[in-house]
Amino acid sequence: MKIIVCMKQVPVQDSLLKITDDNTWVHEDELNWEINESDNYAMEAALRLKEEHGGEVVLLSMGPDRVKESIKQGLAKGVERALHINNEDFTTRDPFINAKLLAAAIKQESPDLVLTGLQADDTGFGQTGPILAEYLGLPHTSIVMEIEKSNGGIKVKRELEGGWFQSVELPLPALLSIQSGSNQLRYATIKGIMMAKKKEIKSLTLADLGLAEDEVDDSNSSLNFNRIFIPEKTKKAEIFEGDPKEIAAKLADKLKNEAKVF
Amino acid sequence: MPNNEKEISSFMKCLFAGSIEREMVFPHPQMDKEEAESLKLILESLRQFAADNIDAGEIDRNQEIPAEVIAGLAELGLLGMSIPETYGGYGFSATAYNRVFEEIAGIDASIATTFGGHQSIGLKALLLFGTEEQKKRFLPKLASGEWLAGFALTEPGAGSDAACIKTTAVKDEGSGDYILNGNKIWITNGGIAHYFTVFAKTMVGDAEKISAFAVTRDMEGFASGRKEEKLGIRGSSTTELTFDNVRIPAENLIGPLGKGFKVAMEVLNSGRLGLAAGCIGGIKRLTEMSVDYAKNRKQFNTPIAKFEMIEEKISDMIIDTYVLESMVYLTTALIDRGDIDYSVESAICKVYASEAVWRTASEAMQIAGGIGYSPEYPYERALRDARINLIFEGTNEVLRSFIALAGMQEHGEYLKEVGKALQSPLSQLGVLTDFAFSRIRRTVATERLEDVDAGLRQEVGKFEEYARELNIAVEKVLTKHKKDIINQGFILERLANMAIDLYAMAAVISRLDTALKEYGKEKVSRELQIGKAFCEIAWRRIRRNRRQVEHNSDPLHKSIAENAYESEGYDFDLIS
Repeated sequence: MKIIVCMKQVPVQDSLLKITDDNTWVHEDELNWEINESDNYAMEAALRLKEEHGGEVVLLSMGPDRVKESIKQGLAKGVERALHINNEDFTTRDPFINAKLLAAAIKQESPDLVLTGLQADDTGFGQTGPILAEYLGLPHTSIVMEIEKSNGGIKVKRELEGGWFQSVELPLPALLSIQSGSNQLRYATIKGIMMAKKKEIKSLTLADLGLAEDEVDDSNSSLNFNRIFIPEKTKKAEIFEGDPKEIAAKLADKLKNEAKVF
Repeated sequence: MPNNEKEISSFMKCLFAGSIEREMVFPHPQMDKEEAESLKLILESLRQFAADNIDAGEIDRNQEIPAEVIAGLAELGLLGMSIPETYGGYGFSATAYNRVFEEIAGIDASIATTFGGHQSIGLKALLLFGTEEQKKRFLPKLASGEWLAGFALTEPGAGSDAACIKTTAVKDEGSGDYILNGNKIWITNGGIAHYFTVFAKTMVGDAEKISAFAVTRDMEGFASGRKEEKLGIRGSSTTELTFDNVRIPAENLIGPLGKGFKVAMEVLNSGRLGLAAGCIGGIKRLTEMSVDYAKNRKQFNTPIAKFEMIEEKISDMIIDTYVLESMVYLTTALIDRGDIDYSVESAICKVYASEAVWRTASEAMQIAGGIGYSPEYPYERALRDARINLIFEGTNEVLRSFIALAGMQEHGEYLKEVGKALQSPLSQLGVLTDFAFSRIRRTVATERLEDVDAGLRQEVGKFEEYARELNIAVEKVLTKHKKDIINQGFILERLANMAIDLYAMAAVISRLDTALKEYGKEKVSRELQIGKAFCEIAWRRIRRNRRQVEHNSDPLHKSIAENAYESEGYDFDLIS
């Protein structure tokens, strides 16, 4: 089975974010980066499938040169090779455009299975996976906890709300978005790290993907960042007075008509 | 001064003699790029493993490192990282190995002790002196972690004075085997290692000399005692070892017969650096904890971080870390260059590092206040764990004597008769060194530290000035005390302290200069603050030590101590 895992490099959790002067993004050059959590689980799921059924795991990532460090972690954990869409010269945060770029790279590989993380820890849209499936014309399901090979396809366990799970069968090829915590993650061993040095990281340019810059530039994006800001702390307390009956009535009114929780 | 072909091989020994061997410490070493990249990945993996699997508090409380943790470290490949690939390891440099050791010590001191007992000293003799056959026989299993290693030198009557061990290995003329009898105490990994480097007295001709042997747990007559309870590093296995007619095949002799003392000293020279690197890990962790606590703890409506007495403590922690990193990784790079005598430098790193981590653990507890004293927080464990560093792998007292005496050796050589006299006490000084007399390459060495960035002019000036002062002080004390210098502990301590600060200054100046040349003043401004603050502290301390070489109240202190011995303690009473 040939599996492609899409991996995004995101700022380390709990990073101190500093917002740029134009209030549209954060200062990236002061941040430390890591593999997006659910993408790590996607990679783990892929490696386990490969170990059980044979085949190849290819890591696909997009970003500037720095993402190579995360790619190498993947290679050290046992991924066979990697594709790197180097966007040193352009940036895009629009899931539509990202999915278009990833799809162009994936099409060239014709994999049996594409795995993505459920969502990126930085932007948190959770859209790239489903859109990518649409671009590739693949069946898709998300919040996947377990993957099993079945006759001609795969059977997956999805996490629903309230402690419910759903079992879904899909034909291959397919695209799955993997939930965090679905497996015990492995650690890169020194052996793996040394072996990774010999593994290929293929750099892909827009030309390699058959795309033009204006197709992927932010100017072409349907998504605009108007202002980003650190959540503002607000403190608002109102103290009701009167006897318990009056207070209860006031509280019910507020909850119903102001907070609209009923 | 004779102009010798034999090259000097120690920066500090030269410095004692008044020469600055600039090229040994400049530029500040940078790790090979490829190795640095692997190292980053290894550290990342180790941190993740530790976050998921290691609970330092639990290890301390249970006095046990879970077997899965050691197995996990083995699985990661860490137990063989310094062993060459030919023997199943990964052949990392001393610098990379020590950086990993630093990280492990920051995670848990008991694990670091076990790890260091195995790789810093346990199997080191095989790496340095083992035959091809011995390496092939033992190293693959030690690299994979199937076996752990231990280093067995200390005995009840032989601590600092390691040369007087009583364990014997008597040759059985019939079989050629050696029959080992005796016991060792305080052996790290004693209860869990399978392989031990054991030192014993052997007969070489008519003389009793120490030899090193590879001993394994499966040999008949080998036994380890119960696990010792300790103040700190409680999770590590420390036991007694007893040898009751243990038959060791002759092919298990490590290094030449009778050269075991040299084997032990070489192993400890490098082991001490590991210990110093480990202290850096501990200090970094404690600094993080202290910064976090000081920023969040409010008293008088103010985070205590804002109080200057707290800021002083935090800045001391940062300075110590910076100085130690500069010194330790300069010294590991000397090991990696090969053929360089780094024995004095490594002793300096050990002394500075062990005192710094103790100071830091104490101040971290002070910042934490009352909660710091509670076992529910990690401060008291850190303090207990830190304490051993001042004692093991050469007590700081023995190492200070060594730093001063070995440093003066170059000088003693020049003063002929004193030099000769110096040789014997030095070899008596237990854990010390094997003394290859090496001489100064006067043609290259100068008394100035040239080509350093102008921004460091003042620091360089002070370094040169006090390097000269060290040289002058050495000349004075050798002329005055001659052979008796070995009994002048007060003086030796001051000379050692001067040497420690001078090596630290050299390392810091080198690091700053290298950074300035590469990145420019603006990017290095915070480092400059740290380095300059340290140099200011250091040269004033050196000046004080220098003055006290001649102006002191040593005779009073000596007399007070001797009276106390006489009266068995303090024998005054206000109520009398």
